[in-house]
Amino acid sequence: MSFEPKILGIACNWCTYTGADLAGTTRLKYPQNLRLIRVMCSSRINPSFIIRGFQLGADGVLVGGCHPGDCHYGTGNLYARRKLAITRKILEFAGMEPGRFRVEWISASEGNKFAEVVGEFTNQVRTLGPQTKFKITKDGQ
Amino acid sequence: MTAFKKIEDHLRKEAKNLLEGGKVTLVLAYARGFDEKHPVPCVVKAAADADHLVFNEYCTYNMARYLTRYPVGTKIAVAVKGADSRAVVQLIQEGKVRRDDLVILGIPATGMKNQKTGEVIDAKTTASTINPVLYDVLLGDEIHGVKAGSPYDVLAEFEGMDKDARWAFWKKEFERCIRCYACRKACPMCYCDPCFMDASRPRWADKSPTDDGTLMYHLTRFYHLAGRCIDCGECSRACPVDIPLHLFHKKVAKECEAMFGQAAGMNIEDKPAMANFKGEDSDQMLG
Amino acid sequence: MKKIAIDQFSELVKVLAERGPLYAPVKGKEGVNFQAIKNPADVTLDFYNTVLSPKSVFFPQSEDMIRYRITHGATEAQPVPQESRPAVILGVRPCDVRSFEIMDRHFLGAGVIDPYWKSKRDNTTVIGFAFDVSAAADPADFYNTFGYGAADPEGSDVFMVRTDKALLLKSMTDRGKKLLDSLGFLQVAGAQDEKVFEETVKKGKAVRTRSAEINPQVIAKKLVSVFDNGEFWQKVTMACIACGACTYGCPTCYCFDISDEMLFKEGSRKRFWDACTFTDFTLEASGHNPRPRIFQRYRQKVCHKYSYHVDKYGCISCVGCGRCTRVCPVNIDIFSIVDEANKL
Ligand code: SF4
Ligand code: SF4
Ligand code: SF4
Ligand code: SF4
Repeated sequence: MSFEPKILGIACNWCTYTGADLAGTTRLKYPQNLRLIRVMCSSRINPSFIIRGFQLGADGVLVGGCHPGDCHYGTGNLYARRKLAITRKILEFAGMEPGRFRVEWISASEGNKFAEVVGEFTNQVRTLGPQTKFKITKDGQ
Repeated sequence: MTAFKKIEDHLRKEAKNLLEGGKVTLVLAYARGFDEKHPVPCVVKAAADADHLVFNEYCTYNMARYLTRYPVGTKIAVAVKGADSRAVVQLIQEGKVRRDDLVILGIPATGMKNQKTGEVIDAKTTASTINPVLYDVLLGDEIHGVKAGSPYDVLAEFEGMDKDARWAFWKKEFERCIRCYACRKACPMCYCDPCFMDASRPRWADKSPTDDGTLMYHLTRFYHLAGRCIDCGECSRACPVDIPLHLFHKKVAKECEAMFGQAAGMNIEDKPAMANFKGEDSDQMLG
Repeated sequence: MKKIAIDQFSELVKVLAERGPLYAPVKGKEGVNFQAIKNPADVTLDFYNTVLSPKSVFFPQSEDMIRYRITHGATEAQPVPQESRPAVILGVRPCDVRSFEIMDRHFLGAGVIDPYWKSKRDNTTVIGFAFDVSAAADPADFYNTFGYGAADPEGSDVFMVRTDKALLLKSMTDRGKKLLDSLGFLQVAGAQDEKVFEETVKKGKAVRTRSAEINPQVIAKKLVSVFDNGEFWQKVTMACIACGACTYGCPTCYCFDISDEMLFKEGSRKRFWDACTFTDFTLEASGHNPRPRIFQRYRQKVCHKYSYHVDKYGCISCVGCGRCTRVCPVNIDIFSIVDEANKL
């Protein structure tokens, strides 16, 4: 059986998650590999969520938020950008493939972009193969 | 080489004056431990005890680590070397201590030695700041003409590694971790109570020393120190099994400096990088 | 008594490792520590003492007690079978060997027998190893305080002494004798070797560590009387950063925590080392912490070892190995603290 990656998505309530809804209601196709978790703001994403996602078996993690300047709370995503940028560097220095982590700004009206990004990212992670570095294995306990 | 004896004399004199004059109620510095090569951090509260203070090449502890133990408003004199002074600055930025409460006794030092290995601590290892960045009294003279080197040079080897090799490296290092938590406890910036590792709801990582809990602990701690680690190296020196945590902290510090244009603990006017954003921040950092 | 040439040592290691679990000193990046031996070439005899203590062989840092799986409406749980293979731990320094007997009093002699400790302890032959009696002791050591020498064979099943060319192996117990008898390739030691062995033990008595007059009964009462001297405790523990290094390094610290850890409906109930110096060691579910201050927790450590343990088990739970002092990031030295308390 060909490898189907598990993608963890974490999306902000106001833009990306609504964008995902829009993609759904306009019946756009995107891969079913995504498990989407809704948070109120991209700045609510604790980098430990991302690490934990990889540990629990995610092959890729996709984070979505409002475009800078459009944050529902004004500046949340501007803080988030810094946090996620550092998270990315930490993952890389630990040895994680950079292609397994991605941040995208997707607005509520960008259902198309949402579907495209998910498709593209899923393909990219598929070529990277299963994520084994952080993933918890029973005998590793 | 630093004139350690001169600094020690000066330290005792200042401590005595400050305590006698009622300027401070306590002085945080170093005293003799079970032998000369093993000094201990100490607090002096009476002028008469100031003569117990010592300073030598083994006084590697970052005394800023003890500042957050005292309630705001306590008048404290603290002896700090270069990197340690940056910790004081960072703590001031974070509102954990007040500038007015402190008398900073700056110690310009080179030739400090790792107690376990005897190797000289320099930019290649940790503590690349030679002269204190902020002080009220300078114990000794500022040191100039010593090439400090970049604190990040040591990273080249690891940055050059293939990602799989780097993972293999860290995995092997973290496997030794016994979760004694000396690293976080020695760190001047790890003042959270409770630490996320001690929280049970949510439980971020297993309490027992599983490999995945250890990975979660260290990666999250590296993140929590982003833009805050001042490269004193105490975490690595505290570790009983010699895990080179400072390397990872240096890497994060380097990236923060490159992306956010500021190094930790250099200026009390700065805002901590991770609690801030700037108009010029761009999506490029998300790479 | 038996002996083996030093250059044949790896033969001995090989045979022991083939028979069953062998724990021996291995050099790692952090220094030398006891490890289960897979590759005989890993074993080293060139070390002063291990960074961490040998207790992990009988009392691993983390140990599953029950494994379980939650299925629809039911939980399948199985106790984890106890280790029953005969094992050997080789290269334990004399002071550390004494720690096993102290731990026995707690794990076996307190009215409740701890099956986890017992199964490993009962099945393990201890090969003690004399310190180099011509070298000075580490400045942190203070095992003389308890009357121990650098080459005391007491407590070992087999005691090993290193000479220029050979390792002398003397059995001290029946178990030790059985082990040596089963190793046919060992040479029989001669009268000259016996003499060297005895001399080494004697010389070991002359190796000086730090030492103080500490009578268990006296110090036990003394510590109770200075318990409320907060000024003293705060002064001596000011530097303590409340980590777990001293406890995890100590051969006679036995506190553990128990926790259920589960992932995707499968998990285990495990026990793992805990340290009385940790903030949450005494944290209660209500949020109340009877020992919120560091000096209270370190006081607990000292009083447990030097007072309560004497009351309960009749001996001090410290062997003066000096590890706690060596691994402490800020050089807190239990010996100096006890010595000072003793003189108050
Ligand atoms: S992380 Fe390490 S080097 Fe950085 S401030 Fe803390 S103790 Fe010092
Ligand atoms: S000090 Fe070392 S062994 Fe202890 S928790 Fe930190 S990394 Fe692990
Ligand atoms: S308390 Fe210290 S010296 Fe005593 S047995 Fe434990 S580690 Fe060794
Ligand atoms: S005495 Fe030292 S090793 Fe023990 S908890 Fe305190 S700082 Fe850590």
